[in-house]
Amino acid sequence: MNIFKKSQWSPYVAGALIGMVSWFAVLTAGKYLGVSTTFVRTIGMIESLFVPERVASMPYFVKEKPMIDWQWMEVLGILIGAFIAARLPGKFKGKFVPPMWEKRFGPDRFKRWFVAFLGGIILMFGARMADG
Amino acid sequence: MGTLILGLITGIFFGFFLQKGQALRYDRQLGMLRLKDFTILKLMVTAILVGMVGIYFFVDMGWGKLSLKPTILGANIIGGLIFGLGWGMLGYCPGTAIGATGEGRWDAFWGGVLGMLVGAGIFAEVYPSLKDSFLKWGDYGKLSIPALLGVNHWIVIALVWAVMITVLFVLDKKKSLIKN
Repeated sequence: MNIFKKSQWSPYVAGALIGMVSWFAVLTAGKYLGVSTTFVRTIGMIESLFVPERVASMPYFVKEKPMIDWQWMEVLGILIGAFIAARLPGKFKGKFVPPMWEKRFGPDRFKRWFVAFLGGIILMFGARMADG
Repeated sequence: MGTLILGLITGIFFGFFLQKGQALRYDRQLGMLRLKDFTILKLMVTAILVGMVGIYFFVDMGWGKLSLKPTILGANIIGGLIFGLGWGMLGYCPGTAIGATGEGRWDAFWGGVLGMLVGAGIFAEVYPSLKDSFLKWGDYGKLSIPALLGVNHWIVIALVWAVMITVLFVLDKKKSLIKN
């Protein structure tokens, strides 16, 4: 169908549909759309590969258990859904540096990734402090 | 159906619509933070307006429950400021970094997803020293606007709709003024 191959939808249409996704989540699983707790569970699972006893004794990982749950699968779904949506129009290519960044800071992808990495650390620390 | 499968289905639709709504782009996110491009604001506000009507209806019908996060002034305000600083540097929020990775944006993965995992790990390390002090400052418990005002939630919903529709209308008007 044409609508799925169109590369861009109105933000109002996409937003309304996301609102309905939140209905679906509440009705089917009693869950609310969220993402950041999954990063806690995932880093806990990764650390458990190396120091399982230490992870098991850490209060934050006792609170947010390192395991795959509804939200973890939802986050995996976001990855898959975005992948499908980006490829349906059939012209998408991977991108290393965003255009607005390149215009201001140049095309060096490692510079961009380094700042993004620091930003990611700071962002997630703040998100967990404010409880998601 | 299993909870995990339902989560996966929910996420696939969520990611699909985020991508079609152009929310998975650094340029759109920074455009919003720089008050130059309100695409993501329009998407978010519409999602909230549609979402709140359905969810409060389900709650009234007994088909669902609200999930309120506690209002803790210290943690919410300082955490929010730190989040905003990192968001401006990364140019994606946690969900859109995952989606942008699916879309083929490598800065979202090598920077965003890996950085956020490290950030979550660091928070887990310092959590014991924060949880009984800083994370309790100004703890007001689970508040909601209808409960605070002591009015029926549908009155609040109608007011939020009225205010937000006005905001969106003004933003659309403003954009066309700039174009002309």
